[in-house]
Formats: sequence, C-alpha cells, structure tokens
Amino acid sequence: MSETNFDSNPACTVHRVRETSKFAQWINRLGVYVVVAALLIIGMAVAPTKFLSLENIRNTLQSVSLMGMVAVGMSFVVYSANFADLSAPMIIAFSGMITISSIRMGFVPAFVIGVLSGTLLGAISGFVIGKLRAHPVIWTMAYNFVLSGIVRWIYMGSQIYPDVIAPDSAAVDTFYNLSRASIPIGDFSLSWMTVVMLAMIVLGQLILKRTKFGNQLKVVGSNYEAARLSGINVTGVIITVFMIAAFCFAVTGVFFASISKMGAYYNGEGYDFRAVTAVLLGGMTLMGGKGDMIGTFGGALVMGMLTNIMNLIGVSTFEQYMVLGVAFLIIVWITTISDRKLGKS
Amino acid sequence: MKKLLALLLTLALLLPAAALAALPDSSGVLSTDGQMLMPELTVKDIPERPADPASLPETDAGRYFDMEYAGWDATEKVNIPVSDGSGPQGKNVIVIVHGAHGWTTAYQKGVQKAADFFGITVEIMDPNWDLATQNQMIDTAINLQPDAIALIPLNAESAVQQFKKINDAGIPAFGTNTLTTSDAMKYMVCWTGPDDWGQMRKLSDVLAKAMNNEGGIAYITHNAGTSPYYARTYGPITQFAQTAPGIKTLDIQTPGFDAVACKQVVADWLTRFGTELKAIFLADDSAQAIGAIDALNEAGRSDVLVVAAGNSKTGQDYVKEGKLLAITYQTAEGDGAAAIFAMAKYFDGQEVPAIGYLAQQIITLENVDSFYPVQW
Repeated sequence: MSETNFDSNPACTVHRVRETSKFAQWINRLGVYVVVAALLIIGMAVAPTKFLSLENIRNTLQSVSLMGMVAVGMSFVVYSANFADLSAPMIIAFSGMITISSIRMGFVPAFVIGVLSGTLLGAISGFVIGKLRAHPVIWTMAYNFVLSGIVRWIYMGSQIYPDVIAPDSAAVDTFYNLSRASIPIGDFSLSWMTVVMLAMIVLGQLILKRTKFGNQLKVVGSNYEAARLSGINVTGVIITVFMIAAFCFAVTGVFFASISKMGAYYNGEGYDFRAVTAVLLGGMTLMGGKGDMIGTFGGALVMGMLTNIMNLIGVSTFEQYMVLGVAFLIIVWITTISDRKLGKS
Repeated sequence: MKKLLALLLTLALLLPAAALAALPDSSGVLSTDGQMLMPELTVKDIPERPADPASLPETDAGRYFDMEYAGWDATEKVNIPVSDGSGPQGKNVIVIVHGAHGWTTAYQKGVQKAADFFGITVEIMDPNWDLATQNQMIDTAINLQPDAIALIPLNAESAVQQFKKINDAGIPAFGTNTLTTSDAMKYMVCWTGPDDWGQMRKLSDVLAKAMNNEGGIAYITHNAGTSPYYARTYGPITQFAQTAPGIKTLDIQTPGFDAVACKQVVADWLTRFGTELKAIFLADDSAQAIGAIDALNEAGRSDVLVVAAGNSKTGQDYVKEGKLLAITYQTAEGDGAAAIFAMAKYFDGQEVPAIGYLAQQIITLENVDSFYPVQW
C-alpha cells in the first residue's frame, strides 16, 4: 500500500493554507484577548477562589490604571508611525509637580493648570517632529533630558509636598482622595483611576475609529508621503497626536502625584517602556497605522494579570521579569506570524 | 626662679598644641529636624569572621559578614597624606555627590552647614548619576588641588580607581555615604556614613516585640544587588532568626519604588496569605510605604504591622498617624556633615576612625514629634 504524500498533494496544500489563514484570521481578530482568556483559565486553575474574587479583580484593574492611561497616549504616537514618545516620564513628573505647586489655588484650578502645562509640552514635541521632521525617538529622548534638567533646576532637586505648600487646605485632601476614592457598583467598586483609564480607552477608540482625524491619522501612520500628497495636513495631525499623548501623560502625572502624595522629578520613570510594551502586546506595530485602543487595553490587562497570577503563586520579581519577557516575545511572534499569513505585514 | 621659668616654658609649648587639638564645640549645631548635626562618629565592634561565609545558610548573619562589616580588613592604608594639624579654618575642600535627589539636596545642606561652622570653603559637584561624568569631576577636582576631596562613589567597582586617583595626587580622600570594598578603603583617610545593617537590626527588634516574636512577615526590598538590598532584607531576616525564630518569612518581592506596583504586591499578599500575614518590612518609607498602606487600608487590615527603612516626610507622617510602626532615622544632613566633621578632625591632626558610623535611632510614635520638621 502506497502512502499518500500530503506535502506534494496540491489539494492538501491549499486546504492547509486555508486552515492556516482561518487560524491566522482568528488570532488576528481576537489578538491579545486570546492571551487574556488563557490567563483567566490559568488564574482560575492556580488560585480558584482568590483569582476571580471581586477584590482581586478590582486590585488588578487598579494596578494597570496608570500604565493604561499612559498606554492610551502612547497608542496615538505608535499608530502615527512615530515609534514612541520617550518624554512621557518627564511630562508625568512635570504635570504632577505643577499641580502640587498650584494647589493653593484650589484643587480644580491646580488640576487644570497641571494638565494644560503637560499638554503644552506635547505641543512642542509635535511641532518639532511634525513641522521640523526631527526623529521622534531622538527628539523625545533629548526632550526628556532637557525637561528633567529644567524641573530639577526649578525645584532644586527636591520633592514637593502638597500639605507643605498648602497646609490645612481642603484642596490637599481632595488631591489625595483623587487616586484613592472609588465608585461603588453594587457589591463591587471601581477606583477613580480605573474609571478614568476606561474612559480614556473608550474615548481613544472613538477618536481613532469614528472621527475624520482618526481616518487621517491612519493614512499618516500607514504612509506619510501618501497622506501628504493627498492633501492631509500631516503637520497638524502629528502635532495633535503629541498633544493628545501629552494630555494622557499629564492626567497620569496628576494621579501619580496624588497616589505618591508628593511631586518629584523621578515620578513616572519607566512608564514609557511599560506603556510601549502594553501597546505592542495589544497588536499595534511600530510601523504605524495598525491596531486599536481595545487591543491596548488588552495589552495592559495581560501585564496586570500576569503579575497578579505570579504574585498569587509566589513567583519572585526576578522570575516575573523573565516570564513577562518571554510572554512578550511569544505574543509578538504570534501576532507577526498571523499578520504575515494574512498579508498584512 | 628656674622652676618658674621651666613651668612658663612648658605652658608656652603646651598651650598652642592644646589649641590646635581642640575643634570648636559642634554640639549646638542642629539639622533641620532639630537633631544634633555632628554627633561623635561611632565605631562598630567587629566579631570574628566565619571561615567561609558563603557556605552558611541564608538566615545566618555570618553569611553577610563581608557586607555588614565592610572594611573589616581595611587596616592597611596606602600613601595617606599626613595632616599638618593646622586646623580646618580656611581650608578648601570638594565634595562629589552621586546625583540629584531630595535626599542629596538635604545632604548638601548638611555639608554646607558643617563647612560654614568650621570655616571651610566647600565646592559641591553633582554628576547626575553618571559614572563617566563623576570620573571627569574627580579629574577636575584633582586639578583644582583642594585640601581634601570627599566622594560618594556611584559604583563599588569603580570606587577603587577613583579613590586611588585622588590618593595618587597626594590629596586626602574621604569616602562618604556609600560603602565601598576594602580595596578602595585603603586609599581613604576614612569613610563616614550610616550603618544600614545596625539600623535594620534595631528596627527588627522593635517589630519583633510588637509581633510578640511570632507570625508571618513579607518583605519589599530595595533594588536588587545594591548594599541596601542586602542590609534591608537579610538584616531583619538574620536578626529574626537569632532573636525571634517564631517570625517566618512568607515572601520577598522587589517591585521597585513605584507606589502602584507596591500596592499590587501587598494586595496580592493579602489575597494569598490572608490573616497569616502579620507584618510587612519595607526597604523604603516613601513610595513603598504609600503602596503598602493604601492596600492595607482598602482591605481593612489595620492589624498588619508595617515598618520601613528611611526617613522621608511621608514615612514620618505615617508614623505620626500610627500607620507605620517604626522607621529608621537616616539623617541626610548628618551624613553630609559627617564627611566635613571627619575632614575637620583630620585637618586638626586628630585621629579619625577608619570607618565612622552615624548615630542610630528608631523613630516611633513615642518620639516622632522630636524629628519635625523633616529634612527632605
């Protein structure tokens, strides 16, 4: 009896390609949520009663809230094919410090001043990158250094405390509560930080997918020259992208300062790379024009869930870094393969 | 008459020597928090070194002997310039720190206060955490030919070359704050700074007493591999093993100095260990304490005792509120002043200890009010 050589059989090959494409399409559509589902199963297996407790879900969501906010801003930059905004840490630190410095004026004015000043910093980046065509990575890295020097010079390298600037002020209590207050939902409660992050995700998704600006951004991110030749105001789009990103970083900065109860030039260190990781896990590529905010949220969730599961089973921090690194590589590998199969990459 | 002349001659010879030996009384100089800025430097008793520390178990203090008693074998000094005993007045010194931080600002304040007190002119250089810049600054400082150079080395390995270079130039070198290896210490007149291990042992004793010497404890550490990482993790672990073996380690994590990350770790501990978790030992009383205390507050676990290393405003406020059981007193101003104090003694021709530690104190609810206003 002769054996059938499936590899040389054209019908089998076509069938297998179709199967692969289906699998790739499935992976591509669900993206990072396949990993979220896998982690849910692992979590329930390793800590059946604890993992799905309301307290644990709340804590996990809260733990990724600040990073999620930064990731929303970073998503716009990545989507526009400008790689990443490495000035995020200093915008976070600066906005928090400006808010604390202004706390004597009351909580709301201080919040607005902090967020606006951070957003303005983004406008400068947007102008230099959009109009002067500076390389985004080099510029934002250098800009981060410059801002770091300015902030240290202004505050003499010191930390600043709201209760020292405005002793016995109700605004200080409101400022502290900003990151600690929760919204009750039946037996469950969500912290304000989480609510703000979710609102940013929804708003970000609407801007990306349902607005004229979002459409223009997709063209700019996919092919800059084509966008320019088709009459899109690419400079304006890029300035707007960096302002939106800086707005997200600035809001994060105010929450960060609130949770830290102080402002310091090093608040926000490391958030740029963590946010980029979440964005890439969520399916965006550094080439731009691909992915969405739902994926970014999934990326942030994966990072939070992985840490949570490993903490629950007692994996040390160093081993956690290894697992996170390997998980990142696997997810990016799967996404790249599925993109290639679908001819998207 | 001859006897009187001899007596006068003796007095004439002795009086200037006595005047040289006496530095002005610095006990009235206070740091921002109202503590004595320059208490006498202390010296630690060094026990016999185990034959092979690395072979000892993790809970045995002897395993960390070379860290806890760093410099124990630095008895041999190389090419240390001899002081002419002319006193500190009018001397020019340079202090090279590690980088900008709230702590460093307070440290520099201490340096300046002490220098002003002794009539020393001081220049402070800040390399902003960059080793190459720090090395350049050492070259610049040597070219300026000051009367002494104090250095907070950025890196233990590079410290040997850095101190050797200053020593080779014939300038008295002083190590400050960050401990180095014995290889670097032989090029210094002396090293001054905090005894992190000693402080952690004292803090552990306070916690053990509050825990009735039993229960589960978890640790959030300093950055892995640094000297505070070992002192603030294995200081308490080895102390409990000796004095309160009923205290058991449940977990050790290193989430860094991000309040959100620390909060997640503690929240996960509460989920994982439940009421088994009786205490938390933190390597930092600022961001780590905020994260831990927020997680405990949200879970309604006021029964969990928390102690922390450090002496920030955040930590001190938490002690006052009763949310932290205790923190260590780590005077940044005193640390800076100690380097200048050691220099002043050296310029004065006095004996300076090879390793001089800052005085140790633990801040609890009972004494916290005497440490306000905080230094940074």
